[in-house]
Amino acid sequence: MRIARTLGRGSLALYTIIFFGFIYLPLALIVVYSFNANPINMMTWSGFTTDWYLQVLGFKTKISENALYLESTDQLLAAVRNSLVIAASTTAIATVLGTALAIAIHRYYFFGKSFYRVLLFAPMLMPDIVLGIALLIFFVAIGAHLGLVTIIIGQCTFLISYVFIVVSARLAGMDRTLENASADLGANEWTTFRKVVLPQLMPGVLGGALLAFIISMDDLVITYFISGVDITTLPIFIFAMLRRGIKPEINAIAVMMLTFSFVVASLGLYFRSRQK
Amino acid sequence: MSARSRQRLELGVLLTPATLFLIAFFVVPLVIMMVMSFLMPGLYGGAEWEFYPHNFGRILGFADPMFEEFDPVYLAIFWRSVRIAALTVLCTFLVCYPAAFQVARLPERWKNFCLFLIALPFFTSLIVRLFVWVLLLRQTGLINEVLLDLHLIDRPLDMIYTDGAIIVGMVYIYVPFMFLPIYASVEKLDWALVRASQDLGAGPVRTFLRVIFPLTLPGVIGGAIIVFIPALGNFVVPEVLGGAKVLMLGNLIEQQFLAARNWPFGSALAMLVMAAMLVALFIYVLTEGRRGSDPALGL
Repeated sequence: MRIARTLGRGSLALYTIIFFGFIYLPLALIVVYSFNANPINMMTWSGFTTDWYLQVLGFKTKISENALYLESTDQLLAAVRNSLVIAASTTAIATVLGTALAIAIHRYYFFGKSFYRVLLFAPMLMPDIVLGIALLIFFVAIGAHLGLVTIIIGQCTFLISYVFIVVSARLAGMDRTLENASADLGANEWTTFRKVVLPQLMPGVLGGALLAFIISMDDLVITYFISGVDITTLPIFIFAMLRRGIKPEINAIAVMMLTFSFVVASLGLYFRSRQK
Repeated sequence: MSARSRQRLELGVLLTPATLFLIAFFVVPLVIMMVMSFLMPGLYGGAEWEFYPHNFGRILGFADPMFEEFDPVYLAIFWRSVRIAALTVLCTFLVCYPAAFQVARLPERWKNFCLFLIALPFFTSLIVRLFVWVLLLRQTGLINEVLLDLHLIDRPLDMIYTDGAIIVGMVYIYVPFMFLPIYASVEKLDWALVRASQDLGAGPVRTFLRVIFPLTLPGVIGGAIIVFIPALGNFVVPEVLGGAKVLMLGNLIEQQFLAARNWPFGSALAMLVMAAMLVALFIYVLTEGRRGSDPALGL
């Protein structure tokens, strides 16, 4: 009986290790192969090189002398620039609107709160293809030019909900006695908000903004439908590359993206754990 | 200004912008799409202003007799998508449950570290995570190369561009969605009940099936629904790992909008995805919703 139980525990622990291996080994694999010098078969190791990275960044390498392996660096950089512009704008808009909604719903009593429950949950639950085509039909119907602006508006529809949830969680955990103390000590409401509420709320707002930024950078489906012909974002660029057939420099781009999101997410989660 | 009217003003300033934004750019587009799904497709794309139920008819069995006979292919694609999404749910459940169970019982430090590891992929690019599986599964991919080198097979296996490849890709990207709800319900589990079951003579299997699993079922159902909904309409995974051979609902919708330019029919298909989502949510409300609203949202 005891042996059986120990065995059971042991196999469960072993399984958990395999589980994390399943999640992380494939990602580790891209990192390894992004340094593979073999231009024909990515999976056969033929030596260490950083040429793929250099080439993606626009430097001249031995590889880029071979015209077969020329993927346009300009297009990639344009896609990165677009993604950053979109993510910065959506983050700003969604953070302001989502935070305002969270404060209103947490602090005030008013008729029709359950309406907001639907209005805020629905965009997150809606399959992204449905939201994508609904927005496409809408923008075409009102005659809007598909491009940066439509992408920013489209992404904000669901990013507001994410910011709302993060800020709401923070609001729910806040200590209201501090505000009463501030009022008792003679501060007016605005001063109390600025000096007491806002500093406490800030981690939630920053967390929400960070989440919105990362989700915006990664959004593929909704952006895909409402981006029009002349705007490419980073996920769409990679999606298009995958459809045309894989070339080795995708590895290098992928590793740079992974590094970026790992650093941002680790920072965010680290700060959150510090604040507890 | 009285305190009351000032409160009203504050509330108005806080609520109005986001409310108008969401109504204009979320509610209105969905309503237009619903209307569109009942309009007649125009000859050169777009739609004609005329009530036309045959967009749904083409899928469900009453196609417009003027143009075509009913072809069950769309219904077949729908069921195939439901099947693949359901299998994805089943596989994510099987993959996640033991691990979530184990992680929930680890000491605090380890628990937090494991949760961090689970959350991290959520922040990394989805398309990059899918791309890895192309490298692994394709004919000249790593799995085939290794199996060939070990002489376990003499020709490469056809793994990519199959239903199996789609399911593997979806399981990989949806793992955190299933893991976290299960973890939360295992964490809340009252171990006194488990000990009681053991004291009363139930063996481990019986204790698991009669006590532990039913108590963690809400987490499983929650996870199942948030995996099922995006899996059903997913068009990126079938596009990348399913190739041209495997068509799912999402690909069909994309085609109607970007290639065939039959927007009313595409809208009708999207309505079908939405209907399936509502059914899934309804099941969730029936099983779990009775417990009341989510305190974290403060709604």
